[in-house]
Amino acid sequence: MSSLIEYYSGQSLFHRLDPRAKIIFLVLFTTVIFIIQHIYLAIVVLLIVIALWCVARLPLRSMGGYFKMLGSIIVFLFVVQAMLYPGQVILIDSIIPPSVPLIGGKGNITEEGILFGFFITTRLLAMVSILPLVVMTTPINRFTLGLVRLRLPYQLAYIITTALNLVPVLKAEVGVIMDAQRLRAFRTFEKGSLIAKLKAYPLLVTPLVIGAMRRAELIDVAMQSRGFGAKRERAYIEDIAMKPSDWVFTALTVLCCLAVLLANFLS
Amino acid sequence: MVTKEPYISISNMSYRYPDAKHYALEELNLTIYKGEFVVILGEHLAGKSTFCQILNGAIPNFKGGEMKGSVIVGGLNTQEVSVAELAQKVGIVLQDPEAQLFTTKVISEVAFGPENLCLDVDEILERVRWALQVVGLASFEERSPTSLSGGQKQRLAIAAALAMRPEVLVLDEATSQLDPVGTMEVFALVQELNKKYNVTIIMATHKSEEAAQFADRILILHQYRLIAEGVPQEVFQNTKLLQQVNIRSPQVSQLATYLEERSLCLSEFPVTIEQVRRGIEQLFRRGENCEL
Repeated sequence: MSSLIEYYSGQSLFHRLDPRAKIIFLVLFTTVIFIIQHIYLAIVVLLIVIALWCVARLPLRSMGGYFKMLGSIIVFLFVVQAMLYPGQVILIDSIIPPSVPLIGGKGNITEEGILFGFFITTRLLAMVSILPLVVMTTPINRFTLGLVRLRLPYQLAYIITTALNLVPVLKAEVGVIMDAQRLRAFRTFEKGSLIAKLKAYPLLVTPLVIGAMRRAELIDVAMQSRGFGAKRERAYIEDIAMKPSDWVFTALTVLCCLAVLLANFLS
Repeated sequence: MVTKEPYISISNMSYRYPDAKHYALEELNLTIYKGEFVVILGEHLAGKSTFCQILNGAIPNFKGGEMKGSVIVGGLNTQEVSVAELAQKVGIVLQDPEAQLFTTKVISEVAFGPENLCLDVDEILERVRWALQVVGLASFEERSPTSLSGGQKQRLAIAAALAMRPEVLVLDEATSQLDPVGTMEVFALVQELNKKYNVTIIMATHKSEEAAQFADRILILHQYRLIAEGVPQEVFQNTKLLQQVNIRSPQVSQLATYLEERSLCLSEFPVTIEQVRRGIEQLFRRGENCEL
């Protein structure tokens, strides 16, 4: 099964862009998403990202799996914001029965709350769609080179890309741990209640974290054993060069961000 | 070819991991010569992996802890230079084929080391092609390491170490996760590196059959100490010691011991199939046993 954080080979326009152009897009759009305060701007940014997903011709089924994974978080955020955000136009009055101690009679669902919940979830969706879009269309070695050419110290660039590389490995490890548990008739993650699942999480997370730490240590030994960090600079057998299309894409990215920010401050 | 030129000198070396009560290796004195093929045998937790990581400086440079005595590799004191500097003297291949491959293409995996040395790109590519040629993966340049078999992955890890042009190649149980075919692939390659390119090989393993077949010298670690060393015949003939330290001798050596117990002595103590075949043929030809 493909992971959202693994490279997905292709020849689309977005795939062919210089990694620096994509990293600049990633940084600027993520920053803009954090700054904007209006729902229509969040929708505009989300639509741009979705359009780029289409340009990159990334498999929609992996996108579906990703949003399914995020679904519960999004629903939770939406409900909490709808219930707790202070507003004037009340749609549903106090959904918590008055008999409940301390919080009884609270939890008005307001129009402002629903709009704010919608804004927060749209912003979250846009935010979590940008990184996979870039990582799935850029081979990890070119991504690293892009970071280095953007003057990031190569040690730091490798920390970032090694961490990204670990995501599919950890995902596979989760599968192995869960299979091992299933073989011993442990079915809580499939059939258990929410509380039972929460209680069972340490059984999944503990071996995963220990395995990840061990793997990280081995990678560290393997990298240093091949001279990583021996010199201030390092050579690269591959090289990258900004083409006119990369400059155009970068200019469009900057213009888009400026336009969204301007609209945000003028609204 | 084994020379009389010492390449690794270990004197009175003891090492203790951080916060550990006991030493992981104690009072180790050892000289390894250039071109030697040394195999380290020992049960689990005998100190084999610690020994391997001491040779490339990962211990103590990485893991900290307390180290006494000295380890000199190719004239460099491992406690005074970084792991990255030692990488040009000692290449290491770890047990887990997955954990030591971290790039997305075979070519970038092998180029990673020379790139770190900031060499000229032509020189890097020349080293990459040479290393891939030596390990028999020349046509795999553009493949992803994840698409390779276990034996191929370990050969790739060896190529990645070789591209640093080390004098010594340390293999820390590099065949323990491989099937018999993968194991033989790795042993055959390592033997070729030793014989053809005169790379000093230090290999920690549990596989006594292969150890007997390829090693010039066998070291036995037990409870953190070096308790025996010698050529395979010497070591595997000492059945009492091997039983004490839970090391299984090669099946042909067990056969020879069985025959000896029944007063049927072979002309030489065998550790390989070829030696036992010769011995049994001679025995049949003589038609006698050692007591007659």
